[in-house]
Amino acid sequence: MADAPTKRRIKVPKVVNGIESIVEIEVDDTAGPQWGNRDQFTLIGKRLPRVDGPDKVTGRARYTHDVRLPGLLYGRILPSSHASAKVATIDTSAAEALPGVRAVIAFAGKQLRYQGDPVAAVAADTPELAEDAIRAIRVKYDVQPHVVDVDTALAAGAASVYTAGNIRAEEPRGDAAATAARLALCAAVVEGEFRTPMQHHSSFETHGVVVDYRGGESATIYASTQGTIGVVGDTARALGLEQGKVVCIVEHMGGGFGAKNGLDLPGSIACQLARKVNRPIHLMLTRSDEFLMGGNRSGSLQRLKLGASADGKLLAMVAEQHKLGGLGGGSQRNQPFMYKVETVYRTMDSVHTNFDSSRAFRAPGCPQPSFAMESILDDLAAKLDMDPIAIRKANISDPVHLRQLDMASEAIGWATGRNKRPGSGQAGPKKCGMGIGISGWGGGGGPSCRVTVTITPDGAVTVGVGSQDLGTGTRTYTAAIVAEEFGLPIKAVRANIGDSRLGNANGSGGSTTAASLAPAVKDAAFNARVAFFARVAPALGAKPEELAASAGKVVSADGKSLTWKQACAALSGTPVVATGQWKIGLSDSGTRGVQAAEVEVDTETGKVRVLRLVGVQDCGLPLNRLAVESQLNGGMIQGLGYALTEGCVVDKVSGLMLNTNFEEYKLPGVMEMPAFTPIIDDNDKRGVIGMAEPATIPTAGVIANAIFNACGVRVRTLPITPDKILAGLAANAKASGGAA
Amino acid sequence: MNNFELVHPMTVAEASRLLVEGGDTSHAMGGGQDLLGVMKDYIRPVDRVVDLKRIAALKGISYDAKKGLRIGALVTLSEIEQHPIARRQFPAIAEAARSIGSPQIRNVGTLGGNLCQRPRCWYFRNEHVRCLKKGGDKCFAAPDDAENKYHAILGGGPCHIVHPSDLAPALIALGATVSVTGGTAGPRIVPLAEFFTLPSEGSILHETVLKQGEIVTETVVPVTQFASRSTYIKCRERESFDWALSSVAIALDVSGTTIRDVRIVLGGVAPTPWRAKAAEAALRGKSVTDVVAIEAAAKAATVKAEPLAQNEYKVALTQALVRRAAKMVAAGPRVAFETGDGGEPWTA
Repeated sequence: MADAPTKRRIKVPKVVNGIESIVEIEVDDTAGPQWGNRDQFTLIGKRLPRVDGPDKVTGRARYTHDVRLPGLLYGRILPSSHASAKVATIDTSAAEALPGVRAVIAFAGKQLRYQGDPVAAVAADTPELAEDAIRAIRVKYDVQPHVVDVDTALAAGAASVYTAGNIRAEEPRGDAAATAARLALCAAVVEGEFRTPMQHHSSFETHGVVVDYRGGESATIYASTQGTIGVVGDTARALGLEQGKVVCIVEHMGGGFGAKNGLDLPGSIACQLARKVNRPIHLMLTRSDEFLMGGNRSGSLQRLKLGASADGKLLAMVAEQHKLGGLGGGSQRNQPFMYKVETVYRTMDSVHTNFDSSRAFRAPGCPQPSFAMESILDDLAAKLDMDPIAIRKANISDPVHLRQLDMASEAIGWATGRNKRPGSGQAGPKKCGMGIGISGWGGGGGPSCRVTVTITPDGAVTVGVGSQDLGTGTRTYTAAIVAEEFGLPIKAVRANIGDSRLGNANGSGGSTTAASLAPAVKDAAFNARVAFFARVAPALGAKPEELAASAGKVVSADGKSLTWKQACAALSGTPVVATGQWKIGLSDSGTRGVQAAEVEVDTETGKVRVLRLVGVQDCGLPLNRLAVESQLNGGMIQGLGYALTEGCVVDKVSGLMLNTNFEEYKLPGVMEMPAFTPIIDDNDKRGVIGMAEPATIPTAGVIANAIFNACGVRVRTLPITPDKILAGLAANAKASGGAA
Repeated sequence: MNNFELVHPMTVAEASRLLVEGGDTSHAMGGGQDLLGVMKDYIRPVDRVVDLKRIAALKGISYDAKKGLRIGALVTLSEIEQHPIARRQFPAIAEAARSIGSPQIRNVGTLGGNLCQRPRCWYFRNEHVRCLKKGGDKCFAAPDDAENKYHAILGGGPCHIVHPSDLAPALIALGATVSVTGGTAGPRIVPLAEFFTLPSEGSILHETVLKQGEIVTETVVPVTQFASRSTYIKCRERESFDWALSSVAIALDVSGTTIRDVRIVLGGVAPTPWRAKAAEAALRGKSVTDVVAIEAAAKAATVKAEPLAQNEYKVALTQALVRRAAKMVAAGPRVAFETGDGGEPWTA
């Protein structure tokens, strides 16, 4: 180590709003914390129940929604009931006259571009009063023509969402003529039009804040957010305060999946109301408002044409990709997604509609092209009479994917369970089949977190950082890393997170939390241990470098030991406080995954049951195997809903969203759950890497392929509901000359 | 929701008086699983809720070999689902009960509420839509560019809702009656088959023959040859909690191997539970092993179907369910959740 360079510049990934880029940073490369031998861990890499699990399941955990303060008022937003309109007149007098209504804000003259666009807001003594108040507001709308679906938006003469029109095209890529010529020479060519609906994040806690501002120079904001620190600056601007005078608290939060960054709409309206009355405001969206103004995964329309050689080598592709992000630009990675195609011609545009803007959503831009690409690849395999795994192996070179394809194949029983030809399986109305697909993601970390570890003479150990727990288990691994360092049980360490006073942290986006935070926690724990050993070494008559901490004791090289309590008592009144930051070498970037599904299709009813889902995923060092498996399962569940039941339904005529509730927006429930086989790819010996996002990327395509393999029906429009299966079966029967 | 008055009568007479006095903005409540949703979503104004739960006369399931199975209006769907005699002798009813909503809803929702619930049409349930059922002048589900995959293929027009009850088709198939009390007409017993009204016949604002102030007090399912050879199967997009895309209640009266009589009632496809008489005719007098007759019955079940733009799939689906249900009851008497005739028999 002595002759290692002390400083060098390295490239690390950085993620802003779920979009990853590479930045160059300077690092100090002297000796420091290392994860060490995985076999010697007692906590890290084990199956650790969440430290806050009991609080969550007993209701003790306090979410933003639960925050109650003296003098609290309840805010409520009046959403537009039209997809496109202008506020002609607005009369708030009846609302203001209601006893207990303390503030009313009206957005007079506003151009409304989506159902849900705020028209007014109120603050009142109770949530019920706030609801009565928004309903007492009389709005006259100048209703304008709307467009809420892609086909209408693309048609000539469509109503314009923006003055610049509905279509924002990017430069085409590739050579159209050369690609067409190449396609003409292919042994097999398949094509298809793929459609994916807008998927709603459906977090159990809706968007919102409780902002505690009573006039004066400071404020505290409780936020359901993925970025504790980011909310501070937004709130300071919204309230006109200095950034240093605003505290953000996110003790527990009920999910975000990409939709909860910054102060957001309810937060900024809450701040406006708070400024108006100098009282704290509780403004959490209702479930219906959440559907209308909480964001979504952009929909897609993709027309693909793909050609291959007789041995399955992908030679040419024409891809027409449309991003359907409502008012937003949408997100969709380029085709071909994940696989190499020699010659590609691609067009890409954003098609706007009068619908809430899309936002980052678990692996932004990936599930849409994955569904289309995995689907068309199996169509091609069927045409060439190739095994779907063989055609995948012919078109990827990544050894990790190649290895994981074999792992998933073995786990699902591909060799014997798959139908050799789509629909060639068992007799009877219920047909089983299998599908497979791949994913990839960044998931790297970077320098952003500042972590403090404190050891007090009474033996208490705390670790503090501003970072929030999005639901991924941040609090648990934060405690575990510190406990591991000191050879303590996990409950001996208290992890304080979700408070901007506790130290800087990155927002949870792009699966970067663990890879950014864990190294900083490790560094702080390492520094605390070095300082702690220096302080307690004299009590053992040893040198600091001769000490080790293990199993609740501090031991010296000559075998003497102190219990943890005894060792801390030797601190003689002064705590050990150490800080840590992200260090290179403790995290890495770039994950790979493979998923496989087995489904059963009832060919009389069109009903699909997913029997099994296998997910193979690498993630470097898995900090908590239970949490990684849970993330993997959760991603697959979200993908299962995307595949089979979910999607925003918007009425073309009225422009209204029809399923702004969990009755008709159909999240999969307990009866939809298959047997899960989450497999952590332990061949990966790198540092910590985030993996929550890739876990949902290939699932829909994998399930679609399993359905195709089961019954020979290719459904290219999500969700794959019984009507589509029945229509496909009827079309197949007609094509083969049989009875419908 | 709007403020409302909550009253707790102790007798049916008192409940009825409160409803009559309150006029058409008063409403009876059993478990409240539908009514509270209607109120929270501002689908219709209700300023007096007449809570029936303290009325002892509306509670309890009892069985009498002569009178049949009597189910009080306040009996929860869970109680029906778990009732041993319902399971053994009236399997279609227990199966229909279990297919409803979620366990939480079944623990609270009642027989009376299930029969009197309002339709789930997502236009009707949208506060901003003033459709025919809310006094408006058009059905938003009818146009070709409407979102009508869940709507009616039989008996629709001018409104195209489907009736949401799962219990009703099963009860009708077994010949149940309902007792209705209150209002100005006095107590009456109505065959459940005549309880529901099509939008083209009764008032389009209502789905049943109930008049203001009238309350369903109980249903009685007679002891018949049909009862034990019955089943209810339901296809839905989400098993955990969903309405029927299509469902079938079927009951056979078999003598030897001959089908003496049969009742087939469809759910999820029409504005009322839909008696498939042509399908029944195709099976009547045939042998239980006559698969050709079963196929003919399946086809006949949808013979008058007039699908909307997005729901033609319900034709093939309904035929499949009729075929499947007929085969299940042709095989012999059944016990709900135990017979083992195709995985979980209450679901398609």
